[in-house]
Amino acid sequence: MIKCDGIIKEFHTSSGVRRVLNGINCTVQRGEKWGILGHNGAGKSTLLRIIGGVDLPTAGRVERDMSVSWPLAFSGAFQGSLSGLDNLRFIARIYNRDYAEMRGFVDDFAELGNHLREPVKTYSSGMRARLAFALSIAIEFDCYLIDEVIMVGDARFTERCRQELFDKRSDRSLIIVSHSMDFIRETCDHSMVLRDGKMTICASVQEGVDMYNNF
Amino acid sequence: MKWQSQMSESLFYHFKIQYKVIHALILREIHTRYGRDNLGFLWLVGEPILFCSGVAIVWTAIRPAREHGLAMTAIVVTGYVPLTMWRHCLARAIKAYEANGSLLFHRQVTPFDIITARTFLEIIGTIMAGLFVALAAIMLGFMKTPQNYGLILLGLTYQCFFCFATALIGAALSEMSDFIEKIVSIFSYLSLPFSGAFIMVAWLPLRYQWILLLSPMANNIEMVRGGQFGISASVRYDLFYNTWMTVLLLIIGILLTTNIRKHLEITG
Repeated sequence: MIKCDGIIKEFHTSSGVRRVLNGINCTVQRGEKWGILGHNGAGKSTLLRIIGGVDLPTAGRVERDMSVSWPLAFSGAFQGSLSGLDNLRFIARIYNRDYAEMRGFVDDFAELGNHLREPVKTYSSGMRARLAFALSIAIEFDCYLIDEVIMVGDARFTERCRQELFDKRSDRSLIIVSHSMDFIRETCDHSMVLRDGKMTICASVQEGVDMYNNF
Repeated sequence: MKWQSQMSESLFYHFKIQYKVIHALILREIHTRYGRDNLGFLWLVGEPILFCSGVAIVWTAIRPAREHGLAMTAIVVTGYVPLTMWRHCLARAIKAYEANGSLLFHRQVTPFDIITARTFLEIIGTIMAGLFVALAAIMLGFMKTPQNYGLILLGLTYQCFFCFATALIGAALSEMSDFIEKIVSIFSYLSLPFSGAFIMVAWLPLRYQWILLLSPMANNIEMVRGGQFGISASVRYDLFYNTWMTVLLLIIGILLTTNIRKHLEITG
């Protein structure tokens, strides 16, 4: 279970303090698949980062009693100057996984071949996405935090993600931030809409989609 | 009882994780700083060796062979090695969290681990370099063997804790304010006279000596020199003051570090 309790997040900008999230409460149970909808700048990615523990909320707290992945997006989690393999090795060490086993999985899933030996900063965004997915799936988290922009890979990659994440690991929780209504409708069984720093939990996915479209 | 055993088990477990994280950070740091292809680990020691031996050679060449009755080379080596350790630790700590933002995406990596890993590497590097330079100077006859190894070890141990404390403080403050980040290098340069690296307390007039003894590093270097020269040098250090000052700095550093996550805006 993940429980967000009164999350408030403020950023200091040149025009003063801006409150992006204003008292967010939500609970994600094991196996639930949540889609977070909201316009650009509504604070979706910020919320995802707070749930993942990358940013700390200004007030409020996040309780996690299952393992939660880092937010999967284009940036973050990798050291650009290190090669894909070195990043893999580091992540295997800190998550206490076997390097050879993980390497095998990543090779197979990401199909990066010799690119794994190149620095991550030279990767295209599609390649980064594949590496990020491969690594986080190899670690076997209970809950995955996914920024939808990362699902841009080619058809083959999208299909593999679907297989590994939605079919083989259908017992895991997902929290997905997305603009694509079709994607949310297809993959999620719950939705919440973020607007003006407030969160509305919707009874069904369709209700969330309608609400988002009516803004 | 059961509750207690669970408690200690989880504490031990967390220590184990932190150990693994710091270990992984150290290996990663070596790779990012020096690359895989170059002689990465060698350079970690090579850089301070070039620094220390360069300064030692120049000072030995241009200054009189003895100052206040003490051999010049030994003065430089005993002073410059701890100074290099401190300056490198501080320099590596400034903006360390911003530079390592991508690591903080992984919840088990804490700011504390990042500074521990970096400081550890700098300390190992400078101590190995110091050993190398001292051995070379001794074999070439510019320096005598130390009189009291225990005192040298004590001084260096205090210096390591002092370096760690200032690295924690510097890293936290540099994230809180850009002004502090800019001023740290000026500060570390202007504080050179107070480091005690190139002077000894006894060389000062008696009534000004207390000023230099306020600096923990000056106390540490006095200890190292006391170990090197034995009774031929008159050294002054205040173990009592030095201990509580170092502990105080450590506590301030740890407090600042535990609160720093709020101030960080992490970009991958």
